[in-house]
Parts: sequence; structure tokens; C-alpha cells
Amino acid sequence: MNKAKSADEAVISMLDVAKKAKVQTVWDRFEKQQPQCGFGTLGVCCRICWQGPCRIDPFGNGPEVGVCGANADTIVARNLIRGIAAGTAAHSDHGKHIALTLLEVSKGGAPDYSIKDEAKLMRVAELLEINVEGKDKLEIAKEVAEITIEDFSRQGEGVSCKWLTNTLPKVRVDKLAKLGVIPSNIDAAIAEIMARTHIGTDADPVNLLLGGIKGALADYTGMYLATELSDILFGTPKPVKSSVNLGVIKESAVNIAVHGHNPLLSELVCDAAMAMNEQAKQAGAAEGVNVVGVCCTGNEVLMRRGVPLATNFLSQEMPILTGALDAMVVDVQCIMPSLGKIKECYHTELITTMPTCKIPGATHIEFNTETAIESASKIVKLAIEAYKRRNVTKINIPDVKVTAYAGFSTEAIVEALGMLDPVDPLKPLIDNIVNGNIRGVAVFAGCNNPNVVQDLAFITIAKELAKSNVLMLATGCGAGAFAKAGLMTPEATLNYAGETLKAVLTAIGEANGLGGPLPLILHMGSCVDNTRAISIATALANKLGVDFDKLPVVASAPECMSEKAMAIGTATISLGFPTHLGVIPQVLGSPVVTSVLTSKIKDLTGGYFIVETDPIKAAAKLIEAIDERRAGLGI
Amino acid sequence: MSKQKENYFIYADSEKCLACKSCEIACGLVHSKADLFTAVLEGYSIQPRNQVVQASGITVPMQCRHCEDAPCALVCPTGAISQKNGLVDLNRSLCIGCKGCTMVCPFGSISIKSEGKVSADTRSKRARALKCDLCIGITGEISEANCACINACPTQAISLVDSEEFRKMRMKARVMEMAAAISENEINSL
Repeated sequence: MNKAKSADEAVISMLDVAKKAKVQTVWDRFEKQQPQCGFGTLGVCCRICWQGPCRIDPFGNGPEVGVCGANADTIVARNLIRGIAAGTAAHSDHGKHIALTLLEVSKGGAPDYSIKDEAKLMRVAELLEINVEGKDKLEIAKEVAEITIEDFSRQGEGVSCKWLTNTLPKVRVDKLAKLGVIPSNIDAAIAEIMARTHIGTDADPVNLLLGGIKGALADYTGMYLATELSDILFGTPKPVKSSVNLGVIKESAVNIAVHGHNPLLSELVCDAAMAMNEQAKQAGAAEGVNVVGVCCTGNEVLMRRGVPLATNFLSQEMPILTGALDAMVVDVQCIMPSLGKIKECYHTELITTMPTCKIPGATHIEFNTETAIESASKIVKLAIEAYKRRNVTKINIPDVKVTAYAGFSTEAIVEALGMLDPVDPLKPLIDNIVNGNIRGVAVFAGCNNPNVVQDLAFITIAKELAKSNVLMLATGCGAGAFAKAGLMTPEATLNYAGETLKAVLTAIGEANGLGGPLPLILHMGSCVDNTRAISIATALANKLGVDFDKLPVVASAPECMSEKAMAIGTATISLGFPTHLGVIPQVLGSPVVTSVLTSKIKDLTGGYFIVETDPIKAAAKLIEAIDERRAGLGI
Repeated sequence: MSKQKENYFIYADSEKCLACKSCEIACGLVHSKADLFTAVLEGYSIQPRNQVVQASGITVPMQCRHCEDAPCALVCPTGAISQKNGLVDLNRSLCIGCKGCTMVCPFGSISIKSEGKVSADTRSKRARALKCDLCIGITGEISEANCACINACPTQAISLVDSEEFRKMRMKARVMEMAAAISENEINSL
């Protein structure tokens, strides 16, 4: 029964614990929502103005237009691009927060933060065409921050977002410019979507979708700068070995889960935890403080510090159910409000930290960059206090823990390749793609979704692609799924990779002194780090002198759920990549929107959505898309 | 001897049902004699007599079928359920909430609930049997125009079936087909 809910062994066992404890989980709530409304499912419900709500009868017996006269195409397109705007807002708000922190650091403020990766700062300065001569690192950091903030504040459409134009192949920038979809200001692109979808504004579904593409490219911009500037402040990830799944929670430690997205918080919690280890021991926790990650914050600290990952999005309630989690600290995005309720049954402290994200039942400790370590210390102190209140009869930590390698930033991958060819690191990758040893590259991203069995589609598709010698990269909760399934290990390469892929990964691994292959799937970070994968594609495209739509590179989001996923997915099809969705997007009520997104857009950008809920069929379609590209290149 | 006539009943086309549950809301509201805003703001207990059910890939609202040999009427110890005026009638004032009818209803369409404003009286839950009454209690007559669920359905998936009319329609349709076949034969034989 529980196997129909999740492919994760630890989650399956915890669902029995939840049932016995009469704790409602996401799966119970999902069941209670059944049947879910067909109008919403099809995207034909409009709640934009108060003449409504309106909905279109997809069977044609009832209304064909809303009160204002908007038909299904207009309604669906408006709903979709509002989702994109929200996703873009979420990602870029995170990015802006980091940019403003970098600016503070450059001015001598934000005392608990510093420039940890000067080399990265210099690379970013070069990317942004900053003249660094005679300037010290703080001056350079200030310019980097200011140029970044300009991407949020520039007025008028004349100048494009720098983080967009400077990170994509020029041919792609030109193609997007011809479509009129390049943003000049991330926040303005979001505002523009909200303005054009107001009652009685844009009614043309195609024009609306172009607005959505502009928003999605603003999302790309926000993601890119968030990742790069985080690397400057916290270090560029390097390959790291860690443990994954609920078994990383230790009975004899004060366990703190960091959950959400932004490293500004989680990095400091890790610092405070280390500093307060002795206090935890004095409170009786023999192993001191044990920080574990959940969701994308988990990926951030896993990438940079090797902090063990407890679980991914859908099973975020489970760490509390172990009865041994003393605090869960959250910042923004993908934090289920249910946590506030569930923690009432346990001793766990739920701590919110951001002014824009409070949860009934949680303790709020506001986090700001001026007093960051002070807040982080307060959080750890609350966790130690909570530890003392533990009810040992409720402790139930599943003995499920696997090894995972993470930390594969673009720099780390290029460095690993450089061991094969120090002069031209990309050459071995390109050669192996050309000779077919690597059939193509697939990037997995996105969420979990209870509409499908947790993690299962990720695992199934990856095993199929591995057999077909496809090189795989992963971010976000997809990366969490693979890590939990043991697919981010050299053993997985030996067990599942096709012969030629195995040979390539082994050659790279051995050149790097690993004594074996690279992991089957490379963990590239949190969901905001999707741009790490795109930066590799840019390097490949530039080197080959082609645009993205020629590369045998595909993307897949088998369990997409959030508005951020809508934005990222739309960005990848706009950049020219075939993008698989394993959950049916809420657009089917509009024939126009459906056909644009799944086929017509191919003529404009080269990318398109492949919607396929069957993982085996999805893998076949992804391989077909890769082969079509290979044929196009004549390889 | 009076003329025999089957009871009316609500029928829903599962192919048209989108599971929006508008019929449930409408049913609950009409029997509570409240509008949506009043019910929400005053915290009314809203109890639909129908429920949208999803199973084996289809979705359809379920409610009382107004059986001709209704097990609920046969087991009711207080005589609250009877055959009357073309439906299985429930006289709630006689009901004591024993749940016998809920156990024998093959459609799971009878619940024992209280509705409307919540009472502070702790001696009784005031819960009594609830089932589809074809909205006869609202207007005193059975008609498609009066059924709240039919009016609320955005895809017109729900209808009120008068078995006699239904049969007539079916028979007429088949006869029309026969007529067409006969005239075609006549043309062919010319």
C-alpha cells in the first residue's frame, strides 16, 4: 500500500509510524482532496476578477467564455504565466537577497558573512565585464553586487539583463531578442506579467505566452545570479561524500534540520551548530549537534559542506515523525504549513526565520544579515532546549542511510575533465559525445508530487537513460531522489551504466584518483542551481559554435509541482531544450496553449515540452529527442 | 387499482463529470436554506446528500436511487422511511438516528448527520438520517428545474430520470430507426 506512495524505503516505513500515531501526512491530505476539481486541473477556472469566478465547460455544454468574454485559451494562458511570474519572483527574491548581502559585505557590513571564494569573485567579475585592475576584492565585490542589482532595477527596455546576455551563447541571445522576450529587469518582467493578465488586458494566448517566456527568462537570470553569488559568499562546491536519508538523524545528538532554500540562513546555522557542539554535549547529547538537510536548503549545505541530507520535498514531515528531530529551521519556499500542526505531537521546535514566511504554530526568530550569527545561535539554543524535552518512547528513526556524492559544480566538473586534458577540458566530453560513447546529456530537475509515486519516475527514467549511455546531471528534489536511491555513487555507475558511459565515467574517475568511476548521476545542487547545468551547455555550445537547439541535451522534471518549476520548465524550452514533464500541466483546457507548448514553440526556440506520465515511455521519448539532435549534427 | 409508476431518481453521466463537487455544495446549501456566504461566515454545518466518488478511473456523484423495494424503508424501526409520491420519502421528525438504513443501503447514500446552525445542547447530537429527497422538500414537487444538483452542474452531467419518459424516449428512438430502415428498403426495392 505504502509502495504506491513512495519508492523511498525510509518513507514507506515511516508511513506506518504516522498511521499508528494518527498523524496526517501529505499523502492523507492528498487522498482527502480526491477527486480534485477538473476545472482547475484543466486550467479553465479563472479567479482573476470578482465578476467571477468563471470556468469554461470543456465539453461545450456550458459556458464557452467567462463573464468578461475570455475563452479557455486566454484563461489558461493567463493562469499559466501568473504561475511563471510567481516562480520567477521566488527564485529571484532569493537571488536579490544574496546580491544585497554581497553589497553589504563589500561595504564592510554583514559581519557574519565574507567573501569565501575570491577566485569565483574574479570569474564572475570577468563574466560581467568588470575592469578589475588596481581594485581590491571588496571594490570588485561591490561592483559585482551593483551590476547584479541593476538587473532588478534598470528602467526601460533598451538594455538587457546582463546576467542573461553574458551567460548564454550569442546566437541564442539573438534568437530570443528577435522574439522580443529578453527581460531588462527581473522585477519588471514579473510586474509586466501581472499587469498584462489583469482583467481586460492581454487576451491573445500566444502574446500572453511570449510574456510568460520573458518571465521565465527573468527566472533564469535570477537563478543564475543567485547561484554564482552564493558561491562567492560560501564557496564553490567541490565533490564531497556524504550520507543520505532519514537514518542520518542520530538518536544521541541534538538534531537540527535546515529546510527551505536560501544558504544565507543554513550556512550560519551550520556555523553556530559547530560553535555550540559542547553545549549540546553538556545537555546530554553525546554526539553534539547534528545538522541535517531537507529539500533544497539540504542540497545547498550538502554541496558545500557535505551536510547529510535527511529527505526531499514530499517527505519533509517524516524527520519530525522520527521523534528525534529537535528543531526544524525553515526560510522560504516549499515548506508545508502542515509542519506547524505535526510538530504539536512531538517535542520538535519549528522555527521560521523570514519576515515573508511565518507558519502558525512555529517560533519566529527573524533573521537578518546584520545579526545573523546571533539569530543562528538562538536557533541552536532552542534546539538544545528541545532535546531535553524529548519523549524517548516516540523515537523511531528508520535505519535507512546510503552514501551519496555531491558537490559537482560546473567548476568541479570542468576540473575533473581537466585531468584528462588540462589544455582543453571540454574536449574529452565533446569527443565522447561525438563518438557516441556519451549518447547525450539529461538534466533532471524539479520537485516531488503526490500525484505520482515519490521518486519512482526519477529512478526509472534514470536507469533507462543510463543503459542508453546518457550522461546525467541533477538538481533540486530530483537530486534528492537519486541520492536516496543510491544512484549518486560509483557503484551505481558500475551497476546501471551502459558500457561506453561506464568507460567514460571510469576514465574521468581514475584520472582524478578516485580508483573508480564518477557517480552515475552528478549532483549539481539545489533547484536554484539549474543554471550550473546550463552553464556547461553554454560552454559546449560556444566551443562547438552552435546554438542550444542543436545540442543533444534534454531536461526532465518527472514530478514537477511548484510555480518555480513552471518558470524553470518554460525557461528550458525557451532556451531550446526538449523538456519532459511527468505530471500533466494544468493547461489542457486550452487547445492553443497545449499545442504551442508541446509543438509550435519548437519552430521558435527549438525547445518544447514532452508530457509523459509513464516513466518508461518518457525515457524512450527523451532518447528519441537526443537522437534527433544527434542526427541534426550528423553524429 | 392505482397506476404503477417507478420512482424518480438522479442520474449522472460519469463521462461529463469533472469532479468539481459543485453539486455537493449546492445540495448542502439548498437543504440548509443558506447561501454560500452566510453558511461560511456563520459556520453552518453543510451536509450534502450526494457525494462525488472516484473509482477505477471514473468520477460520478452518488446519491439515493429511490429503490422500488427499498431496504432502508424495510429496516426502519420508526417508520420514518416510506414509498410516497414517486420517491423514497424520509420523515426526519420520526428518525432517531439508529443507522439501520445506512447499513442496508447498497449505495452508501444515507448518512446520519445534523445540519444548519450548530447547537450547544449536549443531550442530543440532533443527528438524523439524511438522503436525497429530489429537492421535494424545497418546493413540494419533483422537477428537474428544482433539483439543486442539476442546476449546479457546470457540465450538465446530472439529470432527473422519469423511468416512464425514459422508456418512451428509448422506444421512440428505436422505432424511428426501424422506420428509417423500412423506408430505405422501400427505396431500394423500387
